[in-house]
Amino acid sequence: MKRFNFLFALFTVSVLVLNACQMAPSVPTGSEAPQPQTLVVWDQFHRDVEGKVMDTLNAEFEAAHPGVKIERVVKVLDDLKITLPLALTQADGPDVAQVNQGRNDMGSMVEGGLLLPLNKYVTQFNWGKVVSVSVAKRNSFTTDGKTFGQGEVFGVSPTAEVVGVYYNKSMFKEHGWDVPTTFEDFEALLAEIKAAGITPISFGSLDGWPAIHEYSAIQHLLVSMEYIDNFVYGINNASFDIPENKQAAEILLDWVKAGYFSDGFAGIGYDDGNLLFKSGKGAMTITGSWLAGELLAGTDQEFGFFLLPPYSGKSALAIGGVGIPFSIRATTTKADLAAEYLDWMISPRAAELWAESGMVPAIELPADSRVDMSGLFGDTMRAWNEINKNNVVGHYIDWATPTFYDASVAELQKLLGELTTPAEFTAALDKVYQDYLATIK
Amino acid sequence: MARQNAAYPGESKWKGWLYLGPAFLLYTIFVLIPLIGTLYNSLFRWDGFSANREFIFLDNFKQLFTDSEFLNALKNNLIFVIFFCVLPIIIGLALSTLLGRIPIKGLTFFRTVLFLPQIISMVVIGVIWRWMFNPVFGPINLSLKSIGLGGLTRTWLGDFNWALPSVGAVGSWVQYGFCMLLFLAGMQRIPQEYYEASSLDGADQWQQLKSITIPSLRPEIGVALVTTIVAALRVFDLVFVTTRGGPGQATMVAGFLIYRTAFIQKNFGYASAMAIVLTVIILFISLLVRRFQQRDEDKS
Repeated sequence: MKRFNFLFALFTVSVLVLNACQMAPSVPTGSEAPQPQTLVVWDQFHRDVEGKVMDTLNAEFEAAHPGVKIERVVKVLDDLKITLPLALTQADGPDVAQVNQGRNDMGSMVEGGLLLPLNKYVTQFNWGKVVSVSVAKRNSFTTDGKTFGQGEVFGVSPTAEVVGVYYNKSMFKEHGWDVPTTFEDFEALLAEIKAAGITPISFGSLDGWPAIHEYSAIQHLLVSMEYIDNFVYGINNASFDIPENKQAAEILLDWVKAGYFSDGFAGIGYDDGNLLFKSGKGAMTITGSWLAGELLAGTDQEFGFFLLPPYSGKSALAIGGVGIPFSIRATTTKADLAAEYLDWMISPRAAELWAESGMVPAIELPADSRVDMSGLFGDTMRAWNEINKNNVVGHYIDWATPTFYDASVAELQKLLGELTTPAEFTAALDKVYQDYLATIK
Repeated sequence: MARQNAAYPGESKWKGWLYLGPAFLLYTIFVLIPLIGTLYNSLFRWDGFSANREFIFLDNFKQLFTDSEFLNALKNNLIFVIFFCVLPIIIGLALSTLLGRIPIKGLTFFRTVLFLPQIISMVVIGVIWRWMFNPVFGPINLSLKSIGLGGLTRTWLGDFNWALPSVGAVGSWVQYGFCMLLFLAGMQRIPQEYYEASSLDGADQWQQLKSITIPSLRPEIGVALVTTIVAALRVFDLVFVTTRGGPGQATMVAGFLIYRTAFIQKNFGYASAMAIVLTVIILFISLLVRRFQQRDEDKS
């Protein structure tokens, strides 16, 4: 009897499972009802708040498009980067996915013919009106994937990023320090903070990439927009071995020698460095606008944000860019619907939702927006608007070649460890850069 | 007259294959086919996903032997052999002699605790030790400072000279428990009389270890050698979590370099060639260890 029960249960379960399997595609298709469609979307908004924004946006998109169902797949960025290329070659792969920028990711997928060129939709939806040329270039490649920064647009970014200086407002107030407006003032402030017995800049380079931001933030004060564009897009015989890049390395090294960074920074990870800053063991930290939300939670310290100030009498760029863009699979059968989805991702409504959750939207907020701009988020939002308006949105230099990230991490760690000189540093990285340029000529 | 290897009358010739089947099937799917696939891929210039692949025959391999990054990674792997294999075997031997021969109260407790690192996931271990090594609030530097040895504090994982030994030490910590347990089990087999007789003849502890324990544990030491050497050569997760090969190239190992080349830099063919070379090295060393072990067994 027991055995019979077990078999019966097994049978019942199988029948139920089979039914469930069949049910999914057999949604009633009345003649008036629109064709039911499922749009598979892969994104990397895995954190709590940003995930809720995506869920809201998806639900509203479904409501506005009867019969359309969004199947959302969430992955962390590392995972997404590794699994996406293969998934895009499949006939049932994601219709829409977030594709990391740069030659290494978007470039190689364009070269492999996996992404749909979007210029047609740029015109159709008039995306040129909301996305600046400089921003659109970051998501553009020629269709052979060889030339970065021109040709077809392959993705649209919902959010923006800017790298600048977070500072501990409470600490600044207590010591009577002011937000510096020139780089000379900034360096004087570093010395003053150090003299007060406080770590001027919380920093940890164990994870590698934070060192790139530290270095490149200074580099962006010295180089021109034309240079950094040429360098990242690999055009007009750009070189890394230029006096400005060497000077930036010298400044960074001077800061190390002066003890402006956290003690033992080489053995501290990015999150731990931020933790030091958040717990008041450091007056400032140089990183991107994405940290704002995290800094606000669970602390009684008050924080502000400013752009690394330019040399007096000069203007400066700031590292920045747009967040990971949404792209469309080249072989999807639902391209038009997918494009509508992309348009929705950069709509005023989306901008409003991102801003409410503390993330800087890539496009302007609607005029009647009620997002609170008084706190830390307001600082980062204004910083982005300023560099976007003045067309001084710099670049992440590690996009330049497929190996430039790993090479610059290793070379910066050597520079900061005083194993190499600034001149050796720029020469080593230029070799990596020129070797790559030779392969795409 | 006896016909060896012959089946019993009426027994199917295929019965042996039937027993072998399930394991062989799994082995084929998860080891042999990927291995052949990797070998095949190593002959191409390929990004790992697209249809563009260019047959370049052995060019990837030729490039490998002049690739300073790869050679440096292999060198680091060899240094890891000291930390993953030599040290754990020595510590394991010392501990097992201590725990196996001398009665201690709460022996099971100590044995369990000492074995514990072996069963924790490498990622968890990496995260724990990254915290231990943290120069600002990690327990290692804090305790050094608190006992007046502040001069010995380092940035550990961020220090060009100390990063490799630091990660290696974590490897020793993981592996010694396994060696210890293996040796403890082996020591159950050694007759107590050997030790009694030898002590009557006036042998001290050291002589007993050298002439009785170690020779008797030869099979266990062989197993420990192979498994720990293989662990040292294919280490990936520990480096991935703690240093990502840095600072500079100080802790770069072949396993991590292969991952980075294949999935981050999208140079799948070249990474496959690295993987093949690593596989050959691991096979060669394992065979070498086994050969030595067999020769020793033949002698005794």
